[in-house]
Order: sequence, then C-alpha cells, then structure tokens
Amino acid sequence: MIEILSVTGPASVQDLGRFDQSRFGVGTSGAMDDVALRAGNILLGNDENAAGIEIPMLPFKLRFDRNMAFALTGADVEAEIAGRAIPPWWRSHARAGDILTVKAMPRGARLYLAFGGGIDVPMVLGSRSTQFRGEFGGWHGRPLQPGDILPCAASTTTIGELGVEPAEITLARPNAAADETIVRVVIAGEYDGFDAATQALFWSSSWKITPQSNRYGYRLQGPAVKPKAPIEKRSHGIVPGVIQIPPNGQPIIQMRDAQTSGGYPKIATVIRADLWRVGQARLGSKLRFEQTAYGEALAAEAEMSAYLERLRTNVRLIEEIRTCR
Amino acid sequence: MPIELTDIARLAHILERSGVDTIEIEQPGQSLKLVVDTGPRMAASPTLAAPAPDHSVIAKADVAGHFLAAHPWRDKPFVAPGQRIETGAIVGLVKIGLLYAPIVAPAAGTVDAVIAEPGATVGYGTPIMRIRPLSEGSPIN
Repeated sequence: MIEILSVTGPASVQDLGRFDQSRFGVGTSGAMDDVALRAGNILLGNDENAAGIEIPMLPFKLRFDRNMAFALTGADVEAEIAGRAIPPWWRSHARAGDILTVKAMPRGARLYLAFGGGIDVPMVLGSRSTQFRGEFGGWHGRPLQPGDILPCAASTTTIGELGVEPAEITLARPNAAADETIVRVVIAGEYDGFDAATQALFWSSSWKITPQSNRYGYRLQGPAVKPKAPIEKRSHGIVPGVIQIPPNGQPIIQMRDAQTSGGYPKIATVIRADLWRVGQARLGSKLRFEQTAYGEALAAEAEMSAYLERLRTNVRLIEEIRTCR
Repeated sequence: MPIELTDIARLAHILERSGVDTIEIEQPGQSLKLVVDTGPRMAASPTLAAPAPDHSVIAKADVAGHFLAAHPWRDKPFVAPGQRIETGAIVGLVKIGLLYAPIVAPAAGTVDAVIAEPGATVGYGTPIMRIRPLSEGSPIN
C-alpha cells in the first residue's frame, strides 16, 4: 500500500481508459499521456493497462508501506526517494517506509507513477480510471488527498533500476520553437463551413493554452476563427481530440474527461498518435496544428506502436541477460 | 549452480540477437567467457586495470552499449570529479537500444576521474569511473 502525504492540484488514479461506454454517455477518462503510462507499466512488467497515478502539479509526496517496485514516466521531474535522485523515465525499488518526494517539473505537464502490480482499486464499467464528471472509478471517484491509502496488487520479484528513452526523444517531431508543440490533426465535419482565409488562420496561428485547460479540455487563445455563417448543430457524439469552435472563435480541444456529445462545429481532430503530446503541453505554452491525412495518421500510430514494441522487447532482453548472469 | 551447455547455447543466442559480442560470467569456482565473431570488430575497449598500488575502486559498465554521462534531458552529468557519492549512486548510463542501464558506484567515496568518453562504446566490465573510497588512507589492509 502507498499513502499520499502531500498533493497539489487534481492528481488521480488512471489506467488507459474506459472504452465502449459512450452509449451510456460515459467518456473514456484514462491517462492524458497514455504512452507514458504504458512505458511505466512495461518497465515494471505490469499489464500495460494497470492503474497508476497521474500528477499534474507539484509538490507531491507519498510513503511506501512495503517493499515495492515503482516507475516514474511522463514529465521530467526532480524526484527523490530515500535521499537518492531518480532520473526521468525510470524504475526503482522502494523499501517499506521510504518516502518519494517530487518537487519540480522542468518539462512536460503530467507525471505518471506506476507501481509493481498496479493500483488495485475496483474496476467500474471496465476501468480503474477516475471519472471526475461522474465521480466514480479510481479512488472514490475523486482527486487524491493527503491521508489516502491506496492498495496495490501483489508486486512481483525484486527488479533492478532501469530507465527507458522518453517517447518525446524517440518520437521527436521537428518543432518550430521551444515552448511550442506541433500536433497533427485531420480536418473534421464542419471544416468547410469556414472560408479559406479563416482556415489558413487556423493553420498558421500559434495557439496559447489558457489556464482554463485541464483533463476535460484545453481552451486555446488566438485570433478569432469564425465560420462563414453561424453553425448550429444538434448535439452529436464527440471523442477526445476533437477541436470545436464555440461562438467566440477560440478553439477547444476535448480531452480525456470530455463529454461524449456536443454541438459546437468541429474544425479538426487531433490524431490519436499525437494526443499524448497535447497532454504534456504546459499551460501558457503554444500549440500549432499541422494538417495530416488519414493514411499519415495511421502511419504515425504505427510509429508509436513500434516505439512501445521496442520498449517491450528491450526490457525483456535485458531481464534475460541479467537472469543468465 | 553449474553452467549447463543449454545455458551457454541460450546465452550465445541472446548475444547474437542483441548484437553484443562478448559476455563474461564469473561465479565462485567457475568463469565463462563467450565471444561472438561479428566480423570486423571495432577497437575493443581495453581493460584498463587500475595501477596496482592504487586503492581506488572502479565503477564498471555491466552491459554493452553507449556510455552517457548525463541523461539526455539534463545538461548536468550525473557526477563530476571531486563529488562525494554514496554506494549505489548512479554515476552514468549505458544506452542500449531504448534502454538506459545505470552504472552505479561500488563504494562510497569521491569521484576521482571519469575514464570513459561520453558516447563511447562500452562493454561488460568496461571501466567508467575511478572513485577514491572513503576509507582510503586508513590502514585497513
């Protein structure tokens, strides 16, 4: 078990998400950076869907009450356990009583903590993810608080320290400027409702991520992008990644805790292979959209899968070498 | 536990698959060295044994790959000469594929010198760092 000693902002228990529940109006939830959560679970030999903790703000502190392997992926952080500094994207071993302290986040927006065996909260509608909107799943359907004691499934054998290359390095994209994230999008249903000049504005602008951005969605700030004529649609199904244009012309990217339906016109959708990059984009930083085609989106997804597959193979291989020795 | 022929075959297979050319295993009473002939070889990293009267300890790589003195996300190396370190402290990384394997200090002490060049190809047992142990100077021998 682990005890939360100190937490800032809405840290929550998340697995990869709650799929196939849209017909009940239940969104996916799940890790905003699913690649990072998977990498942490791969490092620990867990099921990749095992639940971990998503931490969007620091400081954060917890205590292990038994010997346990854990991994830290996602944002780059200054973390320490029992006086030892922990490098980024790293797995390590805690002894009973050890305190893990995470102080600063110099890069990225969300840290993932995975534990040997995973956090053992009940599955609700097929997932351990916290559903903030419905207040269920995760740890009592709410953000973590100091004093919370989270049960962990039985940990496997003792494993040595090991790190992996962060996804951001392996899957690096040609970035224009520092503090600007370029994400690939495909055009969506109402794209043609905007005239050519407005479409060009959407592509060329650098969009600021406002403080009104969280797990539900990111509200962006930039030049007003308005359709040729007001578009009023009945509410229809939407998924994380959809970029809507409300009447003020300031885009909203729907994220993991988004509603399952909405009526605003959709100009584009972030491809699944780049959604984690949005999840790691910091408040106040800039986003730029790059148009891509369906085929390229699939290729990007294949590239992401290849990275994860290499992680699995590499981790297995070094375990084998160490066992032989 | 004796090393069986099947273990050796398995090891050879792993070496071949991973592109690692040498592995050395030492256990009480037995040692095994496997060398895979991979054609033209790069200059093998010489085993720079510390001079005999030197009491310093050497942090070594325990897997083949490329030596990294700093994490790619960080400007500062893990340790710098003159720095005090504890037993088990991470003094560098070996990058092998997508993995970063830690190189750890075998003893507490002061970092004397970083022997390996950042980016250099290292193998099992390649000396990485010389550490002056805390107990140096005290007549323990």
